[in-house]
Amino acid sequence: MIPAIDTTTPIGLVLALLPETVLTIAALGVVLLVSARHDGPADSRRAGWMALVSLGLTAMALGWLALRSPEEPGLGQLVALDSFRYLSSALILLVSAGAVLSSLGYLEREHLVAPEYYVLVLLAVIGMLFMANAQDLIVLFLGLETMSVAVYVLAGFNRGNAFSAEAALKYFLIGAFASGFLLYGIALTYGAAGSTNIGQIGAQFSQGDLSMMAKLGLGFLIIGFSFKVAAVPFHMWAPDVYDGAPTPVTAFMASAVKTAGFVAFARVLYTGYQAVTLDWRPIIFGLAVASMVLGNLVALTQKSLKRMLAYSSVAHAGYLLAALWPGSPLGIAALTFYLLGYGLTTIAAFALLGVIGRDGERDTTIVDLAGLGEQRPWMALALTICMLSLLGFPGTIGFMGKWFILSGLVAEHQSLLSVILVVTSLVSAGYYMPVILSMYMRPARAPRVFFDTRLPGTAGLAVMIAVVLVILLGVWPVPALHLAGSAAASLAQSAAQTVAGN
Amino acid sequence: MTEFLLSLSYDRWILDFLLLFPLVGAAIVAFVPVDKAKQATLALTSIEFVVSLGLWWAFDIANPAMQFSVSAPWLAEWGIFYRVGLDGISLFMVLLSTGIMPLTVLASYHYITERERLYYALLLVLLTGMLGVFLSLDMFLFYVFWEMMLIPMYFIIGIWGGKNRLYATMKFFIYTMAGSLLMLVAIIVMMFEVWKQTGQPSFAYDAFLNAAPQMGALAPWLFLAFALAFAIKVPMFPFHTWLPDAHVEAPTAGSVILASILLKMGTYGFLRFAVPFFPDVALSPVVTAIVVSCAVIGVIYGALVALVQPDFKKLVAYSSVSHLGFVMLGIWAATLQSVQGALLIMIGHGLSTGALFLLIGMLYERRHTREIADYGGLARVIPMFSLILVVTALASIGLPGLNGFVGEFLVLVGSFGRYPWATGIATTGVIFAAAYLLWALQRILFNRLDKSENEHLHDLTPRELVVVLPLVAGMIWLGLYPKPVIDRMDAAAQRYVHLVQPGFEQPSSTAYVPSPEERP
Repeated sequence: MIPAIDTTTPIGLVLALLPETVLTIAALGVVLLVSARHDGPADSRRAGWMALVSLGLTAMALGWLALRSPEEPGLGQLVALDSFRYLSSALILLVSAGAVLSSLGYLEREHLVAPEYYVLVLLAVIGMLFMANAQDLIVLFLGLETMSVAVYVLAGFNRGNAFSAEAALKYFLIGAFASGFLLYGIALTYGAAGSTNIGQIGAQFSQGDLSMMAKLGLGFLIIGFSFKVAAVPFHMWAPDVYDGAPTPVTAFMASAVKTAGFVAFARVLYTGYQAVTLDWRPIIFGLAVASMVLGNLVALTQKSLKRMLAYSSVAHAGYLLAALWPGSPLGIAALTFYLLGYGLTTIAAFALLGVIGRDGERDTTIVDLAGLGEQRPWMALALTICMLSLLGFPGTIGFMGKWFILSGLVAEHQSLLSVILVVTSLVSAGYYMPVILSMYMRPARAPRVFFDTRLPGTAGLAVMIAVVLVILLGVWPVPALHLAGSAAASLAQSAAQTVAGN
Repeated sequence: MTEFLLSLSYDRWILDFLLLFPLVGAAIVAFVPVDKAKQATLALTSIEFVVSLGLWWAFDIANPAMQFSVSAPWLAEWGIFYRVGLDGISLFMVLLSTGIMPLTVLASYHYITERERLYYALLLVLLTGMLGVFLSLDMFLFYVFWEMMLIPMYFIIGIWGGKNRLYATMKFFIYTMAGSLLMLVAIIVMMFEVWKQTGQPSFAYDAFLNAAPQMGALAPWLFLAFALAFAIKVPMFPFHTWLPDAHVEAPTAGSVILASILLKMGTYGFLRFAVPFFPDVALSPVVTAIVVSCAVIGVIYGALVALVQPDFKKLVAYSSVSHLGFVMLGIWAATLQSVQGALLIMIGHGLSTGALFLLIGMLYERRHTREIADYGGLARVIPMFSLILVVTALASIGLPGLNGFVGEFLVLVGSFGRYPWATGIATTGVIFAAAYLLWALQRILFNRLDKSENEHLHDLTPRELVVVLPLVAGMIWLGLYPKPVIDRMDAAAQRYVHLVQPGFEQPSSTAYVPSPEERP
């Protein structure tokens, strides 16, 4: 029996934060190297590969930690040691690696060579890992800010482009506003519960009735998170920011940032407010419905592929909120599984968009895809699979995810939200299917319009892995379902402990 | 023959084979040289058909339960299994699907000239999807197949269709998906009810069937979700508006598959799932009134709209609405005759309407128009084609001695006792059917040969004869000697009748058989 990690000692804390520590050291190493070698595309590419290696090392550290101490939930700790953390961290690392891979060719083509890009990505990932492990609202906030500051810069990385600058400024202003909400929520919660530790908050609120101050705190927390995950009505920044940012950054925001936001959100609600489910369920319900309806309806009217995907990501935030609604182990498992599916699909879709479009892809309309099916059959096939997965079509991971979310809802007798979910999914067919329609059924504008549309090897690798996983896990989701199930169970266990610990 | 099949342990692998072989075939076809794609597909679909023919003999007539069942875990802890099986209802749907397929491939030989490999691979995937719908005994699996077959059809209409194909294919997709998504919710809700009742999750058809009577207040909603999915697919009036667009824009093979098989999935769904799960809801006075009136309106309205169509293909498309109205009437009357009649119409409509679409396609390949007004006097130019068209049309109208008659007659006989008024009105649909088809034949085949373009058409080629003659033979066989077919569907039809109305006494079949003079 390996001794449990004692997080009160410095050694124990380092062990508990081993993946984060490894990544921080690696990121600093990349910074040092970047400051010394800062010339051409070759240096940028080297930084990119080093970032990938850093992510890989972090994943190994994470794996070691997960095998060494699978479950040590407890009160009073700053960081959680449970499989929910491990799984969500692994998810964040996976999609981040995908984003880095698809950036490698993209940045060179768009003349954005600057190796700092990869450093920023790594710094953002550090923040995300802290969001995934935070057992304390202050740790969570620090993680969130670390992530956000890096992503603000990434959004404006295309300095020469006014839209990119606009995106960065907008994201920064609204992000700061959201952080303010979150911080105020933390302060009020601290006032009501006497602690910022999520477990102790849960123990404090386990009696089931919240004071006015606690309710306000919860409300502000939800608003803060809703901004970060772009849920309606706190989504106004998302389309412009997603649209203006360089495409791999958009992919990174839509997948990794959203994942980090949702896992932290889930942990706070599920361990901190487990006993008062009825207080937050109606709010989540409203946010989910608004996001699904508005996201899908507005996406329907978009002509630009990138903007369509931006609104569709708002809609998917709605589906994820619907997974959060039950507040049951099944719902959390569905959330984790859906995040995996959505992350994989988004990475692949944006990587393909980044190759097909030009100049930030703002002007690549859905109709512009005409002829891709004939001229670049493999890319068209990959994009088709992505669209079907986003739509939730059987045979793809998107379907399994939606089925799982629906199961979570139906198990709690929430048929209304289920019906809204499927009806809005139907609406989404109205904008995902035209992408397929354009690629295969419209005549190409010119015989060789996609002549120089080629997937660079790295982005191609990312797309291939993602698409193969989308199909494989769509047909045989058992391993992923098991992982998601055990992650949710571990969270449920700590939630139960907090209630019992009172 | 049966012994020979048993010696091959045919019953153990046949259903797996039928579902897997086309998928493997699709992968093969995707990589063969372009000019060999159609031959390869023809060979693959013919093998599939020949192998599936064994079902005819291996099928146990007396057994009303599912036969050839296979089960393997998929997501076992969720109660999701790969469960397939076949009874007297699905037997004919399967044979119809495998039988129509080689013919549609052969009919596409000259029609499809672009992206052939994609086209034929999609046809094969479609075949798996269709067979899966008819064979699934697991609701999750059923849903997967039900949706899966949408994609190939979406591409087939959208890529190889007519001028307005993009609109038609989106409409087809959205309509069908609209119904099926609510069905997904219903399936999940029912699964949790099963879980609650039996203590373990299961998506098995039998588990659903057993648990369904205890659904209580949920039952009407669940029925509604299922019924909507199937009613759109049938398509029942007033959900039929996607059908004419899809039919007219689809390439010949697409129209044939749509008419012969896809539409049957809707009625099959009612027969297999919606009504047996919730007989109390389905046969309650209100639902019955709505469904039966929609069925009758469909019969009459489809026929009347067909009457005024200037486009021959659209005419046949609307005639489907009319025919399937009869099927719905038969299903809801739920007497042995009416259900057998409904099944016979499903088969017969598959043969005769499929043949009509094939013939229209052949005509279109010659003249590139489907307007009835562009033709006239063809009987003198292409007599063989005209003869076959006349026989097919008569079969569709329901002339005694051809397939249409047997089914419609049984439905009308079986339904009259239950819904005399509705049946009486539906009978007039037969007259309208004669009107629109005979009038169309007159304008196409007989009037004066006054268009010079029509004077030099060539008659059916041997390939085209091979495409339509099997269907014509089937029509005559079903019309003259349907007994082997009825024998095989008898047990399943009885099971259906017992499921939906356990206490219902079968009236003696001589009680209210109308005399032949009552029929037009």
